[in-house]
Amino acid sequence: MLKFALRRILGMIPVLLLISIVVFTLAKLMPGDSLSGEIDPTNTDPQYIEEMREKLGYNDPIHIQYIRWISDFVQGEFGTSSRYKMPVIDVIAERLPNTLLLGVAALIITYILAFFMGMYSGRKPYTVGDHVISGGNYFALAIPSFVAAIVAIYVFSFQLGWFPSGGSSEVGLMEGTFAYYMSRLHHVLLPALVLGAFSTASYTQFLRNDVIENSRKDFVRTARAKGTKESTIYNKHILRNSIIPLVTFFGFDLAALIGGAIITETIFTYPGIGSLFLNSVSQRDYTVLMSLTMLLSTLTLVGNLIADILYGIVDPRIRLD
Amino acid sequence: METATNTSLKANIKPRKSLSPWAIARKKFVKNKLAMVSLIFLIFVAIISFLAPFITTADVTKVDIGKMNLSPSSEHWLGTDNAGRDVFTRLLYGGRISLTVGVACTILIVTFGTFIGSVAGYFGGKIDNMLMRFTDFVLNFPFIVFVIVINTILIGKVSGVWVLIGVISLLSWGGVARIVRSKVLAEKENEYILAAQSIGCSSAKIIVKHLLPNVFSTIIVQATLLFAGMIVAETGLSFLGFGIPQDVPSWGNMLSVANQPDVLQNKTWIWIPPALAITLTILSINFIGEGLKDALNPKSNR
Repeated sequence: MLKFALRRILGMIPVLLLISIVVFTLAKLMPGDSLSGEIDPTNTDPQYIEEMREKLGYNDPIHIQYIRWISDFVQGEFGTSSRYKMPVIDVIAERLPNTLLLGVAALIITYILAFFMGMYSGRKPYTVGDHVISGGNYFALAIPSFVAAIVAIYVFSFQLGWFPSGGSSEVGLMEGTFAYYMSRLHHVLLPALVLGAFSTASYTQFLRNDVIENSRKDFVRTARAKGTKESTIYNKHILRNSIIPLVTFFGFDLAALIGGAIITETIFTYPGIGSLFLNSVSQRDYTVLMSLTMLLSTLTLVGNLIADILYGIVDPRIRLD
Repeated sequence: METATNTSLKANIKPRKSLSPWAIARKKFVKNKLAMVSLIFLIFVAIISFLAPFITTADVTKVDIGKMNLSPSSEHWLGTDNAGRDVFTRLLYGGRISLTVGVACTILIVTFGTFIGSVAGYFGGKIDNMLMRFTDFVLNFPFIVFVIVINTILIGKVSGVWVLIGVISLLSWGGVARIVRSKVLAEKENEYILAAQSIGCSSAKIIVKHLLPNVFSTIIVQATLLFAGMIVAETGLSFLGFGIPQDVPSWGNMLSVANQPDVLQNKTWIWIPPALAITLTILSINFIGEGLKDALNPKSNR
């Protein structure tokens, strides 16, 4: 197992290098100075630009520039943000906890909802409750996340007034107080629900079908024959077999959350990585944009890697080579 | 004597004459009410969108400051938006763009993905290895991130519907290629492929004439789901401002005004129609996809 995981991780390195080359090429194609952010975009004096280019080494051969960029990047030097006038890594670090909170909240909501709905539907298939859940699932799978977000804000924030429509916490609360944490939780719930809706539906569907399939297997018949309680059969014998395949979805979730976060955070004006990404486009803060592109690509790659490795752990038929 | 046996044989066989797989699938699909209703709805949406110039006479691009934010009335069925444009007209024209982008992306992706997948699956070995590494590589790019970055680079140089279609397609063909490859891998082990090879068919002919028809059902189902996904991609990107140029009406562009709290809260007629149009279209495409999957699966007997 360890060998398998190590091989996958080693196999990731060339892909990561290739992706970094693509990102670097895109950064070079970007208007202005998107790699260091040191050149002041408001200063259009050609002599100043030429001096800065010489100083930053933009007149060097392209492969030397690439090597310099990638070695800086690995050491956490992402350049300077032209908008915030501070190192990009600090800008990102400021927003990262918000996105992590959003992602974790979305995952928890997904797991809890999908667990209860999937187990119920699987235990009582083709009943009214199951049909209601399946119908809801179809809708959750069909509604694009930005439509869901808009509708959620309209219904829960404007009409019912249950949740705030944007931001990450109440203005004026002291950081570290209990009220502050509660407010953050309150602000993250609605975006997390929207962000997790799609995967909740697919998890529920998967769990339902798997429970139904397992309930026809021999070990369930044996358990019934020896007089095991029905609830024990479902909550112990079947659950254990059905929950394992779900584990493998986690890696793909990571990749899906990244794309979802960009849309959801923007609509809810939630100050995380996703909204930072979109803002950096409109504010022409290309250093932040390219650093985030590289970071998000790496995260997606790691997500796929985790999915692969978990798959190997869960399914023993997938072997080392 | 001979003719007599012939006719009696025919008479015997006729009622039990088995249908072709396609006919069976068609029959199953027609029986599936949900899928049929969805199909009719989708065709209806497509027809009224593409006949938009004949249905409404209002000018879709005309900005009329005197008629801003009117609520629905007999003159403007769904009201007017914040630039005084008729929402109903824009909805029809928007459907035209969104459906066109969806169809065009799907065709491009399926064509390219099938090509890569079937070549990789059929030839195997080094070619397979190389093509699949490349596919994995493309699949690793976070879709939205790269569409936005590429759009930022292209802004001011080229823009428009076809650029968006190209960019979306370029980043999305990986899934189809993988599925087609795995199907071709299983299918090429059959004897009829060996027979075709042994009578000297060229590889291209074997792939096109013998292999592809047998993986076609998988491709169709994939294409349907892809169609829904591509409409979501287009509307989502347009909503964020990175898709269709803002002056062209599309469902996503129409929805983007809902980012203003005032529109969202008080002028529901502007954003509810495109939101409903998107959701219902995706829902019906998904139902059609499910129906096709069921109909083309010989094991299901629904």
